Amino acid sequence: MNEYDEKWEERINALLDGELSPDDADLLKAEATDDGELARAIIEAYQLQQAMDTLSVERAPDSLRKKLRAIPAEQKPNPFFAIFQPRWAAAFASVPLVIIALTLIQPDTPTERELAQAREEMAIAFAYLDRAGVITGRQIESKVGQTMADAVTGSVNKAIQSHNLTSKENEV
Amino acid sequence: MSKKYRQWVKAYQDQAWTVARYILKDAQEAEDATQEAFVKLWNNRDNIDPEKIKPWLMRVTRNGCLDRLRRRRENVEFDESHMAGESSGPMQDLAATETGAWLKRAIGGLKEPYRSLVVLRDVNQHSYEEVAGMLELNLAQVKTYLHRARKQLREQLSEVRP
Repeated sequence: MNEYDEKWEERINALLDGELSPDDADLLKAEATDDGELARAIIEAYQLQQAMDTLSVERAPDSLRKKLRAIPAEQKPNPFFAIFQPRWAAAFASVPLVIIALTLIQPDTPTERELAQAREEMAIAFAYLDRAGVITGRQIESKVGQTMADAVTGSVNKAIQSHNLTSKENEV
Repeated sequence: MSKKYRQWVKAYQDQAWTVARYILKDAQEAEDATQEAFVKLWNNRDNIDPEKIKPWLMRVTRNGCLDRLRRRRENVEFDESHMAGESSGPMQDLAATETGAWLKRAIGGLKEPYRSLVVLRDVNQHSYEEVAGMLELNLAQVKTYLHRARKQLREQLSEVRP
């Protein structure tokens, strides 16, 4: 289709669509009287339009109408699988995070067993310190004298006594 | 929302069916394609501008049909007689002598997007602007393609008419 054809087609279609002004329509018809090919194109276009008018929107079959009406009921999400919907999935995914956060936020409340174990470990540590204090005292005594040795061993003994007292209070 | 959907079905089911029928030329496939388009409409009902339901639905119906045509071409086992449903049998031959039946076949024989343009504009009587929206073309393209499509039909019509 060349440019000339395109121009014709545009004007013929505009004529059929009623979009051509009366003056332009008259001009086209006048041209057609001198141009047999244009005249034939216009006549054929009218014939096609008449044929097109016999076609109309087809009625959808009843089987399809029924199927289309049933779509909302059929597309309802299955309650079992609804649990995997994005909102629920997000909620479930957040559960471990909440647990971790609560664990981190909550104050540490040790169990009785943990307390007993801690006390035992403390006793061992202080016994070690007691021995270490005595040894250190001896070393200091040999180096700088009795006064400094008493200061070191004294502070260790005080700490051990204080711990023993607290443990007894807790046990009571 | 279900009430709105029912209104859309009532308003557009025949138009969508006609588009599918012309493009696919097979009643069962056209029915399936129309149903698929409405399922998509239902599933996307909250995301579509209510003012643009019709162009959206026609576009989705057409695209679904074109996908089916592509799959058909890929399927070498496809039975061609299945496609020519309207032209087989004595009753169909009789109907084919009538202009309307002939024209349906001629429209069905057009290439895309000419076929969709003729169906949407000349059969379904959508405005040029609506057709442009449905096919995602500009107005000038719609008019030009439609002129070409009509010219092809006119030439075919002149061949069969005395």
